[in-house]
Amino acid sequence: MKVDRGLLVESLFPPLFFLLVVWPLVALVLDVRPSGIIKAIGDPYFWSAVVNSVLCAAAAALMGVAMAIGFGYYHLFKRRSPLYRVADFLNDLPIALPHTVAGLALLLAFGRKYFWWLGENGLAFTLVAVVLAMFFVSYPLAARTVQAAVEELGTDLVDVARTLGDEPGEAYLRVVVPAIKEGLLGGALLSFSRSLSEFAAVIMFGGNVPGKTQVLASYVFARVEAGDFDVAVAASVFCMILAVSVIALVRSLSGEFTRAAETGGDTVRVSG
Amino acid sequence: MPLKLEGIRFAYPGREVLKGVETEVDDGEIRVVFGPNGSGKSTLLKIVAGLLTPHDGRVVVGDRDVTHLPPERRNVGYVPQDPSLFPHLTVEENIRYSERHGRGGEELFERLVDMLDLEDHLDLKPSELSGGYATRVALARALFSEPEVVLLDEPLSDVDLAAKAEIVPEMREVLKDFGAPTLYVTHDPWEAERMGDTFEVMVNGRTVRVSDVEEALEVLRTGGAEVARG
Ligand SMILES: Nc1ncnc2c1ncn2[C@@H]1O[C@H](COP(=O)(O)OP(=O)(O)OP(=O)(O)O)[C@@H](O)[C@H]1O
Ligand SMILES: [Mg+2]
Repeated sequence: MKVDRGLLVESLFPPLFFLLVVWPLVALVLDVRPSGIIKAIGDPYFWSAVVNSVLCAAAAALMGVAMAIGFGYYHLFKRRSPLYRVADFLNDLPIALPHTVAGLALLLAFGRKYFWWLGENGLAFTLVAVVLAMFFVSYPLAARTVQAAVEELGTDLVDVARTLGDEPGEAYLRVVVPAIKEGLLGGALLSFSRSLSEFAAVIMFGGNVPGKTQVLASYVFARVEAGDFDVAVAASVFCMILAVSVIALVRSLSGEFTRAAETGGDTVRVSG
Repeated sequence: MPLKLEGIRFAYPGREVLKGVETEVDDGEIRVVFGPNGSGKSTLLKIVAGLLTPHDGRVVVGDRDVTHLPPERRNVGYVPQDPSLFPHLTVEENIRYSERHGRGGEELFERLVDMLDLEDHLDLKPSELSGGYATRVALARALFSEPEVVLLDEPLSDVDLAAKAEIVPEMREVLKDFGAPTLYVTHDPWEAERMGDTFEVMVNGRTVRVSDVEEALEVLRTGGAEVARG
């Protein structure tokens, strides 16, 4: 009998997807206990972790978008410059680099050695360090989003603005930036969500001081270490809800794009 | 001030597109440029606008050599192949875009709005305009900047026939009234016939002057075989 390879692919995906992707999330939710929820809600360190996570991620996202706007300018006008090439290459780095390494690098760069004049540990183990760690790992996402938006926009608008008297920087700020505002928002939300999830770089550089530099990711870690499993699970589910909400927001923003892709996909439906 | 192109050469990486374009367009003259897809018409307009720099040759406006000036210092009115209105600005803001660089003025604004019939559209956003009106706005925006040279790259390619019949005479009147040398790229013989004063065909990286649309089509049909040899 001839094996239908297409059918094999189609029927392998669902069980693997459910086992490897959906089941862990379900298992987490199944383990939620009222005692854990109550303890988490009553724990001031939980709430300070929530506040730290959200505020630092928001700050990192804002920084990320601001930097990404600069990167977009180089993408549009200085694509041949060595700086642009290096920046473009480094945007892929956090994918492959262990984030502990990123955290260590930040610790060395902004710690006691070079920044002793800012305090005993330089910037390390402060909320600023948390923001910088989040920024380091999430900025590339904002940069990639802005890059794609600039590319998608094309050069005609800028060309016209130039003939109307704008220098490159003016044309960029007056025309390109407003025209890609959805891309900017998308980039901000992506780097916000990436920042929320960051653990390794944050803990290496920002530390894990409860009530001070602890974020949700490190709070969960600390609770597991301390054996407070029910609190860890409750906090984790809270993280999950937060993550799902942010991702849903990102998706609804890029809704038009997704919808176009979906209708395109529908035309080549495989018959059963 | 007349526009003069002298021996313009240009290549994209690995592809020579313009091989010594020579031409001259007088004040108030509307020069229609024909040419097959990919023959380099848009490239030529971008060179005149200063958006691309030719590898050889000169772009001269009046007696000013502008070959190495950036677009913002050239005073060229440019309508690219797609009207490219600024999406976040209203029609009026689009038209007045060059105002902050000291160009334009109330009188010119009123005249353009009046001639192109834009009074009722001034507060709309580009996404609310039909193709015909988008083109009018793009033209008004270009002319508001008081250009010394006007470049129109297939400005009516998105416009349906009925709207075209209405816009073409209007556009011609505005351009004539304006009096700058104009390069007008189109594929449409009907449009060319009604818009152009003089005609030119782009073949084999050069432009060939022809006396009318019929001759232009003839050159296009033969691929410019005989002219290119001569
Ligand atoms: N940015 C670019 N990089 C490389 N090649 C390009 C670029 N832009 C245009 N070309 C090539 O140069 C040639 C001339 O392009 P151009 O757009 O000037 O032609 P055109 O005469 O305006 O064509 P159309 O009638 O289709 O608008 C084409 O072969 C095109 O593929
Ligand atoms: Mg073209």
